[in-house]
Amino acid sequence: MSYQPRIIGFLCNWCSYAGADMAGTSRMSYPPNIRIIRVPCTGRLDPLFVAKAFQEGADGVLVAGCHPGDCHYAEGNYHARRRYALLHLLLEFLGIEPERIRLEWVSASEGKRFTQLVTDFTEQVARLGPCQAVGGQS
Amino acid sequence: MDLSQAIRDKARELLETGAVKCVIGYETGTDGINARPAFIYEAAEVDRLIFDETCGHNLATYLLHHRAENIAVVVKPCDSRAINLLHGEHQIERDKVYIIGVVCPGVVGRQWGVKGRQLLPACQACTDRNPVVYDYLVGEPVAEGAPAPAPPLPEVEDLERMPPEERCQFWRREFERCIRCYACRQACPGCQCTECFVERLEPEWVGIRIDAPQNWMWHTIRAFHLAGRCIECQACRRACPVDIRLDLLNHKLAWEVAQLFNFRPGMTAEALFPLATFVRDEKLGVGEWASS
Ligand code: SF4
Ligand code: SF4
Ligand code: SF4
Ligand code: FES
Repeated sequence: MSYQPRIIGFLCNWCSYAGADMAGTSRMSYPPNIRIIRVPCTGRLDPLFVAKAFQEGADGVLVAGCHPGDCHYAEGNYHARRRYALLHLLLEFLGIEPERIRLEWVSASEGKRFTQLVTDFTEQVARLGPCQAVGGQS
Repeated sequence: MDLSQAIRDKARELLETGAVKCVIGYETGTDGINARPAFIYEAAEVDRLIFDETCGHNLATYLLHHRAENIAVVVKPCDSRAINLLHGEHQIERDKVYIIGVVCPGVVGRQWGVKGRQLLPACQACTDRNPVVYDYLVGEPVAEGAPAPAPPLPEVEDLERMPPEERCQFWRREFERCIRCYACRQACPGCQCTECFVERLEPEWVGIRIDAPQNWMWHTIRAFHLAGRCIECQACRRACPVDIRLDLLNHKLAWEVAQLFNFRPGMTAEALFPLATFVRDEKLGVGEWASS
């Protein structure tokens, strides 16, 4: 694989970031294409963040948080789910392939699931090639 | 009775009794063809008011600039939904606003030189002829079924069928014309932020430079901020000096919101905005990956 996609991962502090930590401390490996940004909760994730990532040249954006029912702030991920369902449709309509955006749930104990998710997503984005939708780097 | 005359009579009464300080309506513009907004403060001036198929502006937006006074405003059905939106978002006080609702025959786009009769595509597809909220109704209410969202515009469906690269080319050609004058934002009743994200410097979400990535960012987020709130009044599109197809973006999102959440903004002032609530067990097609 010569082309290396650039992937931004927004992980919620309480579950998915801890899940990534779990993967790390368990010495599981996953593609290094992902640049992780820790956020307090998926509910904190303004769609601006995702749009900005694409504008700055990301080829894929992964958002991961606590499973429904497990959000540290009780409801953040339910709100995120609605927002991302719509944002997905908007970005797709603008010509960004829907496979470039993922919202998934990863708990603090799911280190293996995290590595699988990142591997799966990285391959998916790599198949699409660089994201051209935004048009030129800023 | 003629619509214009009915509006004038009501405006005269409201100003003479002191019920309102100003009546926001339409008058004929300087070209003698297109209507423009009129702000009538004196009963002696009410004969300036008109209503015809060029009255496309959404005057509800101006209520945002007159929050302290009692104001009357002339609204079409789509504009009346903007009043519910503003009321529901606590931007206006309902008892300070006197709503003159007009049973709407549909409006035309901006006319150049001569008056045409071709209604805007949105008006051709529109099934809401009666305002959803008013204090005084002008015109005979039209019998209509349960209010239904307009079907997806054929142009939106055409875009959906294109491969992603073509869709993205289409939007690039649209967005590259944008001069970022923000007239679309100023005309929109839903764009009420005292500080718009586009003008934030810390963090700087959108650079001041006018280029593809900055324009893309502006259009993506503007559209998203109106998702589930846009009442498709077309005010943004008619305000755009370079005729960018904001209507297609707005319509796409309005359609998806109707499909996903069975929601049409502005139908009542009380309805809960779909992105401010959730249903625990709903399936929305995201976050459903099962790892092996
Ligand atoms: S009115 Fe048109 S040109 Fe001006 S910012 Fe909006 S889309 Fe761009
Ligand atoms: S986005 Fe455009 S069509 Fe929608 S409410 Fe605002 S001005 Fe009206
Ligand atoms: S584009 Fe967004 S931030 Fe700017 S005024 Fe409209 S709603 Fe507010
Ligand atoms: S704290 Fe993890 S999604 Fe809300």
